[in-house]
Amino acid sequence: MTRPPVIPPDGIPPDGITAAPGGPEAIRPPGSRAARRLLRWYPRSWRARYGEEFAELLIAEFAEQPRSWRRGADVARGGLLARLASAGLISARLPGDPVDPAAGRRASLAALACAAAIFLTVGATMWAQLTVGWEWAPPATPGGSVAMVVMSAAMLLLAVLAFLAAAPVAIAAARAMARGEAPRLRRPALLLAGGALVLVLGGRHFGNAWPGTGGRWWPHQGLVPGGIAAFSWACTLSVTSYWAHPTVLASFPPAELAWMAVSPAAMLCVVTGTAQLVRRVELSPGVLRHEAWVGRAAIGGMAAFLGGALCWVTEGGPGPRGLVHAGAIDVAGVAVMVIVLAAGWQALQRAGRPEPFLAARSVARR
Amino acid sequence: MARFTERDGDAADAPGALDALGRSAGRATLILSSLADGAKHGYALTKDIEAFAGVRLAPGTLYEALSRLEARGLIEALDSADRRRPYQLTAAGAAALRAQLQAQRTVAEVGLHRLAGNWGTA
Repeated sequence: MTRPPVIPPDGIPPDGITAAPGGPEAIRPPGSRAARRLLRWYPRSWRARYGEEFAELLIAEFAEQPRSWRRGADVARGGLLARLASAGLISARLPGDPVDPAAGRRASLAALACAAAIFLTVGATMWAQLTVGWEWAPPATPGGSVAMVVMSAAMLLLAVLAFLAAAPVAIAAARAMARGEAPRLRRPALLLAGGALVLVLGGRHFGNAWPGTGGRWWPHQGLVPGGIAAFSWACTLSVTSYWAHPTVLASFPPAELAWMAVSPAAMLCVVTGTAQLVRRVELSPGVLRHEAWVGRAAIGGMAAFLGGALCWVTEGGPGPRGLVHAGAIDVAGVAVMVIVLAAGWQALQRAGRPEPFLAARSVARR
Repeated sequence: MARFTERDGDAADAPGALDALGRSAGRATLILSSLADGAKHGYALTKDIEAFAGVRLAPGTLYEALSRLEARGLIEALDSADRRRPYQLTAAGAAALRAQLQAQRTVAEVGLHRLAGNWGTA
């Protein structure tokens, strides 16, 4: 009598026990190793549910077509999407998850929050460089000045909207914790608070050290207080083209290099914590409507910022060309912002409508 | 072999349960149609869809769609001694597929009728 293979907790079938399709159990059929490697793209929860059967499909595919970069790319894409869903960053339910129309809207709002966070990170990188640059010299062209005013106003609007969006969620989370739902919310709350604390402390520390502004809280010249400009610059220090120039990067102080590695992790914690909190906290219909309204305004603010950024990139940028000018990374940043804005718009559309499949389900049950 | 594009998915969209799947509605229609004549596991689904639609669903794409359909109660997994778990249509899935295909048939009939009126029959 043969014993059924035991699948380990990580959901990846051990090498050598996978059965060939249609045949008896065999030792290491062709493709089993490659299938195991591809399975690692998926999160553990997904592998626990689909790992075995997905591995079987992959082995059959490998038998039919041993090499295919399209298949590898497709599995990688699917795995990353599953990981994003598992982290609560995009809307997706696994079988067994509860059916809740409000949960669908919260998931869409969480996706919108993620899109806004990515937009803000890329946008703040660009904007901080410009505002710090203006501390040294004013924009060289009228278009550059207009771009800076538009981008700064949009950043202010987005900051206000972020507060308006966060406040009701924070209140609802505090009430839920008071009701005894703390265990469900503890992890996202800790992620959010921890990430934010690291960002604030590190941003202030490295912002103060920046000689261009000295962390002043009032503008030396330009539009934006030097402290805010330096703080934004320090928080987004990791978004830089220096990664493509290791020799230059090697000359950076070790503490700054460490911060360039830590700050993205802190930002990821903030975004993940926020998304998970939005998805897990029960929000009343009124709060959901309020959040959707804030989301629409945020889309408008992001579009305005993007317009300013485009204006700056096409004009060549403010200040002496050697100090702050639009480079390839800024063009790439604009492209990322366009994509993220489109994704945010889609999420907003989903947040504003009920899930039609629920209606279909009730029809089928009748 | 036809290459499946997102536009195909959009074209398959119609008022009904599969709208919730957005751009995946086209793939969902293919999978539900394949399961309409009985339970199938992943590889059998791939081959069947390739045979009747000329579309090869890649593994990641197939399981993304299966996961969504199962989460929405349109299909269900069957117990199996084999590691290749088969899936079958549920009553909700059959209703959703019927609504989707009827909507597509309406579009097809209108299009063919207008083509025949203005361009003749081939």
